[in-house]
Amino acid sequence: MSHPILLVEDVSKTYDGFKAISDLTFYLYPGELRTVIGPNGAGKSTFFDLITGRARPDKGKIEFGAEAGPNKDLTNYSEYEINRLGIGRKFQTPSVFVEHTVYHNLVLSIKGNRGVFASLFHRLSSTERDRIDELLKLIRLDNKRNWKSGLLAHGEKQWLEIGMLLAQEPKVLLVDEPAAGMTDEETHRTGELLISLAGRHSIVVIEHDMAFVKQIARDNPVTVLHQGHVLCEGKFEEVQANPKVREVYLGRGKHGTR
Amino acid sequence: MSWNSIFRPLLRALVVGIGLLASGRAWAASESPRATIVRAILTTDDTQKRDLIGSLVGQGDEAIREIFTAWREDDLFVYTAPDGTKIPVELTGTKNSAGAQTAVRVDNGESLQDATGHALPLAAAKLTAVGHDARLRLAMKNVVDLLDLGSPLLAKRLRAIQTIGAAQKADKIPVLEARGRVETEPKAKDALRAAIAVIELADPSDDVKLKGLAELRELHPASCYDLIKVARDKAETAAQPAVAKAATAALAAIDQHKAVVNFYGTLFRGLSAGSILLVVALGLAITFGLMGVINMAHGEMITVGAYATYITQHIFGEGMNFTIPFVRLAIHLPGMHLTGWGYQMFFVAAIPAGFLSAALVGVALERSVIRFLYRRPLDSLLATWGVSLILQQLFKLTFGSNNVDVATPVYLSSNWTIYDVTFDWNRVFVIGFAILIVLGVWLALTKTPLGLLIRCVMQNRTMAACMGVRTERVNMLTFGLGSGLAGLAGVFVSQLGTVGPSMGQEYIVDSFMTVVVGGVGSIFGTVVSALGIGLSDQSLQQILLNPVLGKILVLLAIILFLQWRPTGLFAAKSRSLD
Amino acid sequence: MSSPPTVPLRPLVRSRHREFLVVGSILGLLAVGFPLSNAHGWMDDFTITLWGKYLCYALLAVSVDLLWGYTGLLSLGQALFFSLGGYMFGMYLMLQIGMLGSYAKSGQNPNGLPDFMVFLGHTFLPAFWRPFQSFSFAVSMVFVLPGLLALVFGFLAFRSRIKGVYFSILTQALTYGAALMFFRNDFTMGGNNGFTDFKFILGHSLVEKGSGPATMRGLFVVTAVLLLLVCLGCHWLNGTKFGLVRQAIRDGENRVLFSGYATANYKLFVFVAAAMIAAVGGALFVPQAGIINPDQMTPDKSIEAVIWVAVGGRGTLIGPIIGAIGVNALKSWATHAYPDSWLIILGLISLMVVMFLPGGVVSLPARLAELWRRRRPATAPATGVTKPAPDRA
Repeated sequence: MSHPILLVEDVSKTYDGFKAISDLTFYLYPGELRTVIGPNGAGKSTFFDLITGRARPDKGKIEFGAEAGPNKDLTNYSEYEINRLGIGRKFQTPSVFVEHTVYHNLVLSIKGNRGVFASLFHRLSSTERDRIDELLKLIRLDNKRNWKSGLLAHGEKQWLEIGMLLAQEPKVLLVDEPAAGMTDEETHRTGELLISLAGRHSIVVIEHDMAFVKQIARDNPVTVLHQGHVLCEGKFEEVQANPKVREVYLGRGKHGTR
Repeated sequence: MSWNSIFRPLLRALVVGIGLLASGRAWAASESPRATIVRAILTTDDTQKRDLIGSLVGQGDEAIREIFTAWREDDLFVYTAPDGTKIPVELTGTKNSAGAQTAVRVDNGESLQDATGHALPLAAAKLTAVGHDARLRLAMKNVVDLLDLGSPLLAKRLRAIQTIGAAQKADKIPVLEARGRVETEPKAKDALRAAIAVIELADPSDDVKLKGLAELRELHPASCYDLIKVARDKAETAAQPAVAKAATAALAAIDQHKAVVNFYGTLFRGLSAGSILLVVALGLAITFGLMGVINMAHGEMITVGAYATYITQHIFGEGMNFTIPFVRLAIHLPGMHLTGWGYQMFFVAAIPAGFLSAALVGVALERSVIRFLYRRPLDSLLATWGVSLILQQLFKLTFGSNNVDVATPVYLSSNWTIYDVTFDWNRVFVIGFAILIVLGVWLALTKTPLGLLIRCVMQNRTMAACMGVRTERVNMLTFGLGSGLAGLAGVFVSQLGTVGPSMGQEYIVDSFMTVVVGGVGSIFGTVVSALGIGLSDQSLQQILLNPVLGKILVLLAIILFLQWRPTGLFAAKSRSLD
Repeated sequence: MSSPPTVPLRPLVRSRHREFLVVGSILGLLAVGFPLSNAHGWMDDFTITLWGKYLCYALLAVSVDLLWGYTGLLSLGQALFFSLGGYMFGMYLMLQIGMLGSYAKSGQNPNGLPDFMVFLGHTFLPAFWRPFQSFSFAVSMVFVLPGLLALVFGFLAFRSRIKGVYFSILTQALTYGAALMFFRNDFTMGGNNGFTDFKFILGHSLVEKGSGPATMRGLFVVTAVLLLLVCLGCHWLNGTKFGLVRQAIRDGENRVLFSGYATANYKLFVFVAAAMIAAVGGALFVPQAGIINPDQMTPDKSIEAVIWVAVGGRGTLIGPIIGAIGVNALKSWATHAYPDSWLIILGLISLMVVMFLPGGVVSLPARLAELWRRRRPATAPATGVTKPAPDRA
């Protein structure tokens, strides 16, 4: 196989004595669509936090870059630098600029120079306009382009955030629970979109909804996180059949908590 | 400065301190000074008269001064009683119609009585005055000059010893030595030795000088610094290397002692300044750190506490009148007209009064304003700033725009001097009370059911409300507690600084910085940062000899510190951002 | 910063241009009308100078709004930058007094030093004072020094991600420290009393009977025009992508960071620009007020300026101007009519605005309309959700 675009090796992170991530190793290859599942508190969101620079690992290595040779050590970069390198993130709770219009949300996200002075004298080019229009159609918010995004429904905000992610044209997309708050039909469409993006982009999706996972995973590998480390990795069916996974997921049911 | 030089004095200070407690018995002489004087008056031999008077040298009885003054002013007379005994008396007061004055017996200081026990006034014209000549007067002056040496007041004694030493008259050495034999106070004993040693510096003989310098080196009295310097300069010009060397050594000993004293003095002042800051900031650590409310009126809670002390003091005394502005409601607080210890207890009563009044104002503020602004910290800053302006102006209109005087109770107005380091009682009290308050707050927050509720509401108001906690009430009580602590601080500050309508403003910036540096939400962090800021402030003042520059440097240091630790010393690490 | 959702903090884009037109025409009218009526004797000298000071305060308020209203940074250091600008220009004005000072008149001041220096026993001008003989140097320092201070402080603060109330507390401490410094006599900036007793600006008298009012008119025009230019700049900024980013930082800084924007640089730019705007206000304030002292520099003055903005309406162009003029006009009146009550009035204003009118005076019409609609549910159903107005950029 080729060199991974995202390399996470032996990473640990502790919050106030709680081991959120312990000795996690994870490789993402170019063009891959990877799904990460795991029960609550398995460390999925912390995993994204570490990659995007929101949190620093206590130990371990996180590198970015498809080529062999010296790669970018992400632990030395800040959030915005990591984003500029080409790693985009959609948050678990939809986070859009609620006071801005849908259109302006995309203007802010569209790929381009993000410097202070560049933004002072920035004029939207026709290509950029076209790209935004295209995205608006894709996320089906074309008719609400001038709505304040805070007024959108939960599912629409999810779509807008996906649109914002796409506008950045990142190499790696980190998508945290995209289907939450969506109708079945919307969820399915989200799945279709993610599948169509794979290949050109490398994607990591965190998800709870097993139907959705089944839809997007297909032949792609699924990673199961448990207590901060990788429990197992493999095709959806393999993972589903894995007794350890069953224990982690179903074992909880025996105690009547879920 | 080595550790040895810091700890050795500490040990010595301890020993000296114990000695201080043990002393207290006055020195006793075999015969009372009055009896000696009576004998001197009645004897006819001039030499014996002088010797008797000379024997009084070193005595400290103030009566001697009085009697000698009367003697020199020809107010002493000898009265011959009907039984023939001669009684020396002093005639004082205004003359009555018969030209007689009150006669006070020299031997016991009581008025002369006749056989029936009635006062017996005497007329000067009918008696013989007690005579005196120049040599006798000189002898008396000698006694009076050295009178303070035997004064029962230690401070007076010490001053007299120093004065005699500074005069460097060799003839005073025997007196000082005699006094040294009866002196029991260790400090006075040391001072006597130092005075003798200083006088020895003026001796022409090198050996005596060296002996004196060795003594001075051991005693390192700061008051003798200049005289030793003079002696060194003289020795250098006279080419006496041994003396010059010894003098330099003595000066070095004094310098080192001074450094040690300064070190402990600064440490103590820093601790007490830090303690005030701590009590002020502790309230803020609760309202700002735990509740997330920026209360710009926190300083005014201090003012409330200070004015509560002021009012309590007047209630214990003569009572007071004041008018509530705008409604023009004149209020008369009756006084309890206490005196003595009863009155002095006003400060003890002011402690709960200050806490409760500030807590009440805090609860009122929370109910009326702050509860609407829990999710808008910047807005709570502006609203409470408005409250602070209103309160300041109300104080000004009620109590006047000038500072008011708050009395210092006797039990806070003295000091201990241990090893030349002065420990003011009010500062010692502040340190002790700060420790108690920190302990109390810590216990209240961690060991009581209310503390549990407070912590759970502060972590997640919504969740706590869902769990059935009456968050409204907990918020109110927590804010009241924070404000009450500021009120307590106000009670202290009334003893250490000025009390006026805008006094709270002096503390507000410092206390916010203390909480930020300590780490918001951490009581322990507040303690560490308050003491740290207090100590560095005092040390910088000591080093720079400039309080304002020191303060500016501390502020700069804090800004730079936050570069290194933006969340403060002991911020709770949390996964939730913002 | 949250507020009742029914009151939009920032007017929608279509009314943005209308707002600027209103601000622009009012300021234009002021710049022309006031000096003309003063020259014709319809307005007394005191009033035009007073309004000149109001406009300087308006500059300060605009700088506060730029930070607080638009970027979400509540800086309590704006009074410091205002005063620094004032001091820089004040140094020039002090040196223009020359031999007209009271010590020079009695022959005790052969070198024409400012009076306070003679009083402190100086015989020569300190080196750092000398370049301030030059008008252009002083004017450039009005921008450079506050800008530099803002740059250094802002760099340190934003780099370590100090935000929200921590930023307020830290800027408050900065202001407090600086005020302590300026209160000191050996800082040779006039100590307690500051600078006063100015005589000339660029050779024009500030005090003479005939030419003094003319100079004041000139200063008024300069102030009004500069305020207009600053408003134009802010208006332009609001329309750029920078304006979008800035507002996004106010509403959710983390999201902006994860969109690839170095928010610290954006905040630093705004902070430095706001410092310079405040400094210009201060520099123009000093000759018109005739005095600058460290009392202008305290954290309280900064908060007062924030209150002006809150009263007028944060996050708007016209709000800070209305607030600065309105509150200060009220102050001028109240400190004479009810001297004991002014601080209580100011305190109540800040309390009331924060609690009951977070959008300020400019949101009042919308609020009243809302109330009107609620009172008459028959004609307008009060659904609570208002359909957003179309927003064409």
